This record gives sequence, structure tokens and C-alpha cells, in this order.
Amino acid sequence: MAEVFGRRLSRAVALCLGALFLLAACGGGSNGNTGASSTDVTVWSAWGGAELKAFQDVLAPFHTKTGITVHLTTVRDANQLAINVDAGTSLPDIANGPTVDKVKDWVSKGVMKSVETALGSDFNAYISNTYPALTTPPAGKSDDLYIGIVAGKHYEMMVKTQVKGLFWYNKKVYTGPAPKTFDDLLAINPSQYGAQKLFCAGLESGSASGWPASDQIDNIIMRQNDATFYTNWIEGKVKFTDPQIKLGYQTYLKEVSSANVYGGPNTVLSTNFGKAGDPLFKTPAGCLFLEQATFIPSFFTQDFPALNLKAGTDYDFFAHPSVDSKYDGNVNGFYDNFVMYNDTPAARALMKYMATSDAQQIWANDGGTLAAIKSINYNDPVYKNAASVAASAKNLLVTAGDFMPSDMQAAFWKSLLNVTNNPGSLDSELKRLDQVQAAAYKTS
Amino acid sequence: MDRIITAVIAIIGVPLVLLGYIYAGEWVIERLPARVQVWIRPYFWALPAIGFATVFMVYPLLRTVVLSFRNGADTQWIGWDNYVYFFTFPDTLTSLRNSLLWLVFYTLFAVGLGLIIAILLDRVRYEQIAKIAIFLPVPISAVAASIIWKFMFDYQPPGTVQTGTLNALLGSFGAQPVAWLVNSTTNNAALIFVGIWSITGFCMVIISASLKSISTEVLEAARIDGANEFEIIRLIVTPLLWPTITVVGTTMIINALKTFDIVFVLTSGAYDTDVIATQMFRQLANAHYGRAAAVGVVLFVAIVPLLVVNIRRFQQQEEQR
Repeated sequence: MAEVFGRRLSRAVALCLGALFLLAACGGGSNGNTGASSTDVTVWSAWGGAELKAFQDVLAPFHTKTGITVHLTTVRDANQLAINVDAGTSLPDIANGPTVDKVKDWVSKGVMKSVETALGSDFNAYISNTYPALTTPPAGKSDDLYIGIVAGKHYEMMVKTQVKGLFWYNKKVYTGPAPKTFDDLLAINPSQYGAQKLFCAGLESGSASGWPASDQIDNIIMRQNDATFYTNWIEGKVKFTDPQIKLGYQTYLKEVSSANVYGGPNTVLSTNFGKAGDPLFKTPAGCLFLEQATFIPSFFTQDFPALNLKAGTDYDFFAHPSVDSKYDGNVNGFYDNFVMYNDTPAARALMKYMATSDAQQIWANDGGTLAAIKSINYNDPVYKNAASVAASAKNLLVTAGDFMPSDMQAAFWKSLLNVTNNPGSLDSELKRLDQVQAAAYKTS
Repeated sequence: MDRIITAVIAIIGVPLVLLGYIYAGEWVIERLPARVQVWIRPYFWALPAIGFATVFMVYPLLRTVVLSFRNGADTQWIGWDNYVYFFTFPDTLTSLRNSLLWLVFYTLFAVGLGLIIAILLDRVRYEQIAKIAIFLPVPISAVAASIIWKFMFDYQPPGTVQTGTLNALLGSFGAQPVAWLVNSTTNNAALIFVGIWSITGFCMVIISASLKSISTEVLEAARIDGANEFEIIRLIVTPLLWPTITVVGTTMIINALKTFDIVFVLTSGAYDTDVIATQMFRQLANAHYGRAAAVGVVLFVAIVPLLVVNIRRFQQQEEQR
């Protein structure tokens, strides 16, 4: 009996195994490719949540108008495109541009199709409608890999943008004019407005602690130097011990010195970036200004629900004042772009559509961003104001750390925490950063 | 869909394959001559375990050693560069120093307090309740414990309401608040304290169990011979507990060297609080696989002697039984 049972069991086992192998063989799915189509277009984006929803809102009228179906895939892994390019496998028709280091290579290989090709006769309108800082390389240059310009040709089509380094204030407390220069800003006497200190700051952000300080110092360095120096620094061609970078650190330290910052350095280092602005709305006010990007009002309203804070009436911001007037027009921000990777009629149609103000108005209406087109209307006074900052920009410069190798970025952030904690350690910190830099940019 | 199929294969398929291996193998072995059967059967049954250990333990170990001599992209041999980096770079040296601090103070206090508490509680009536109180932090996950302590260490500007328990306490004595986790004279101590808080109960329970096994006759004989309580603890209890203390101690040393979660949650290694394991994580996160492997190898080499001691102790205890 036992033997019969055993034999049956082993037969059952064999059967199950066979079935499993069969299943496994069928498991390898197929990745559909639509080919050079005029009815379908494949798009990859890294967006999720509200940003994804906004993009879907933008795409909806395109489908009803043209009948072209957009196959949108969220691809979180920024490297996936590069993996496909290296492997020679199929690319989406439209996706975001690659990292800066790959732009030249991909253009020379013909992987990226130019915006001129995609837009055709609409190209000139695109250039004149879009913020100049997003489409123009620094004066005297024909390349700007950050915005996808190689040998004067455009490869990344800008659709959205943001500006950073804004000084937020409580309108009921600070009633003075926006200072023109950084020295004017430092000269403001907080007690004149009933506030304890000039600035608030909060650098704590878990394992990313220090990033708010990097935004602050970037906004200083890009206003003390020209755009090329700034990008050279990002690319590891300028040392941290360079006198200009040291000057940037010293200027930053004025923003977090015991004399100027609410609660002193310990408070700055212990406070989460989202809570940094709370003292703006306390009575008496802890500080007059908080330097942060356009996302920060959501934290104000979240922390003070009872005050029912409104943009434009309760709080507002002014742009980062000029540090060295020679470099006015360098503005910190970022941008979202699309690149056409397969030149198909449907892809061209979608690129043309996304460059229209109709499409970008939807992005603006959904909130949380500036469009790339200058003439868009914003309901939110914050973005109305931010649009004028973007319009004033000659060069929209990225946040440095985000474009450095990751261990350079981590060391950069950490150095900002350390010098905030102990300004006397500046020289040794900068030396250490040089050491990290020498190792981090080695391509191996 | 692909993933579901893979999961099904993994969950059902692997045990089925093993079952198939046993049935098919036994079917073959049964048909072999009796002497061969006796010789081959243990190997046959041990093979899957050895196979798994090789694939999941030995291979990764060897691969880590190999990786530690290669560059980040694993394309080139670079000799001792990763180790040179580890032992010369200021950041990693700080992490080595901190791991040493952890090793000494965490082990000393966890085992020492565990021992003292176990001995003291052995002599009181409310032993059970006190033990539960001290053991309570042990089952809390290190991440949750760290977040609890993040609130305890919280810092607000001087002159405002202190929301952190410790600073509120300082304030009630009229003292200025301390930025426990930022100030480099207090932060390492604060982190190690959290570690001790969460593990002392464990040491206490193990030592206490061993303490209970000391026969009361021995102690009574000593008392009759005129030994006072301190002499009993020093000359009788402690030597009898020694094997247990070594095992607990070595386990704590290994814990100290592996410390990651508390540091990662509370400071992420900022303000000179990095330890070896957070350093390894950082190298991994920044795609320096070679350097991370080198850190791993250093950590492994540091832990091996302790493992050997621990296993020897276990064996001795087994033999004594």
C-alpha cells in the first residue's frame, strides 16, 4: 500500500514539475513595439501622483483631437533608457532627456531627434514663446548640455519649469520692499518689524539632511560667478578650495550665523525643512525670511490651519537678491523636458501638441508648477510671481548637488551641516571635499 | 502576471523540486548494493543543505572578497585601492573610531548592567515585574526605538517650549537645552545609550537564567563558611556565570559592530556619528560596490575571531552537559 502511494505521489510530483516548467516557459512576456505609427505613440515618464495625473490631463484632449493613442508608461528607473540605448533595444517614441553626461553621445549617435525636426514649422514659435533661459545657451556658447543644446540645435523640448531660492515672508510682519542686493537684505533690522532674527532655516531631512543648505549656497555661488564657472564646479572642474567656492561658503554662513538665524545653528540643524518656516507665523515672529522653493506654502498651511493662510495676502516671496550685479540673471531652477527618440508622425504630433499653450495651460491649471511658455495665466499668486522670476532669468541653473556624482553630493551636503555646526571647520571641510571630488569624478 | 508566476514557482516549485529530489534519489539508492547505500545515503541527504549553504553563504562571501579588489563597476582589478581608501579616508576613519566606541561602551554597559540587574533582581520579591519592565524595549524594532528616542532627544530653540523629554527635564532645572544629536560631544554617547537601552533586557534575561541554575547549596555552603554577599558574588557567582557572560559579551560585540539602524534613523551618520555599517551602506548606495565589499570584508574579518570564540564556548557547554 505504502509503495503504491509512494509511486502515485512521485507521479504527481513529476506532473506538477512539468506543469511548472511549462508555466515558466510561458512567463516571459512580450514588450509590444508600435513601430513607425501615425496612430499610436509610446511615452515614458518618471512622474507619479499629482504630476502623473496632470500629465494625463494634458494628454486627454490630444487623443480626442487627433485620435492618436498615447501609451504612457511610468518608468521610475532613470537608467532604463540608457540600458535600452546601450543594448540597442527599442526605445519609447518620446521620453525625458538623459543625464547631462550622455547628451552629446546620444546626439552624435542619432538617438535623440532634434526639437527642430519634431516641431518643424512650429519651432520658431516654440523658441519665442518659451522662457529664454530654457532655450538659450550662455552668451557666446553653442552648447548647453543641461538644456539639451548641442552645436546650436535643440534636443530637449521644455514643457515645465520651477524656480528656487525664493525668500518667503509673512506679509503681516515684513512690510518693507524686496531688497535689491544681498547686502540690502542683510542690512534689514528684524526688530524694526518685531521679529527676533532675519532668517529661519531648517536643514534636517533624514538621510538627505543638508539639501536645503545646498539650495542656499548654490543660489549664492551662481550669483557670485558666471554660469560657466558654476557648471564647471558641478562637473568637478573647479575645486572646493577655490577662493570663489570658499567665498560662497562664507556668504552662506552669514545666513545661518547665530546673529542672523532664529535659534542659532543648533536649531537650524535640528529643525526639519518643512517646519523651518513656522516661526514666520508665530507672534512675535521668530524671523522675517525663509529661503525655499515654490513647494513650501503647503507646509505653512499644514502647520497653521487655524490662520487660514492665503498666498499673496498672508505670505509672499521675493526673488533671491543680486549678490554681484555682474551675474544678475543667473537663476536657480529646474525643468522637465521631452525628447523624441523615434521620429514617427504620431510622435511629432504629440511633441507639437505639448509645445502649445493649450497643453501647457492644463499643466499650469493643475498647479504645482510653472509652464515653459511665458504667457501662461496662473490662478495661484505664488506661480504668477514665480513666472516673473523665471522671465527675468538669463540662465536657469540647476541645483548643483543634484548633478554631482552621488557621493560628491552626499559629502557636499554633509559639509554644509558641519560648517553650520562649526564655522571654524570651513577650511578642513573644503580640503576634505577636494579629496572626495578627486575620487568621485574618476570614470572607471 | 510574470511576477505572480515567478512567486508561485518559488513558493510551490522549490519544495516540490526538493521532494522530487528525495523521491528520485531514494528510488535510485534503494536499487544499489547495501554497502554502497550505507555509504552514499548521508551525503545524498546532506547535499541540498550543503548546496544551499554554498549558493547563499559561501559564494556571496567569496564574491564579496573578489569584489573588494575590483573597481566600482566591477570591470577592473585595482589591487588594495579599496582597502587603502578605507584606512586613509577621514570619513571612514571616523566611522572606525565610532564603531570602536560602540564596541567598548555598548558591550560593557549592556553586559555589565545586565549582570548587575540580574543579580540584584534575584534578591527581591518583585523580580518578575522589574524584569518585564527592563525587558520591554527588547522586542521593539530598532527603527521604532530610534524614533521614540528622536522625540526624547528633540531640540527646540532656547527660550521656547521644549518638546523633547530630555530637554524639558533639563529646562525644569533651569538648564539650557542640549542639541543631543547635533553636538559632537553628546551625539555618539546618545546613540550608544539608545542601543544599550534596547538590549540590556536581553542580556539580563540570559544571565538571569544562568544565575537560576547555580545551586543554592553552593551559596549556602559559602555563607556557612562565613563569606559575605560581595565575596559570594565575586568569588562564586561571577566565575560560575563566566561562560554565559562570554557568550552574551561576544554576541554584544558582534551587535555593536553590526550597528546600523539606530545611527541611520537618528543621525544618518551626520556630525561624525557614522559607523562601519552605515559607511558600507553609503558606499553601496553610491554604487561603489568595490569599496562597500572592502568594508564588508573588514567587518567580517573583525567578527570571525568572535564567532570562533562563541562557537567554542557553545561546544564546551555542550560537552559539560
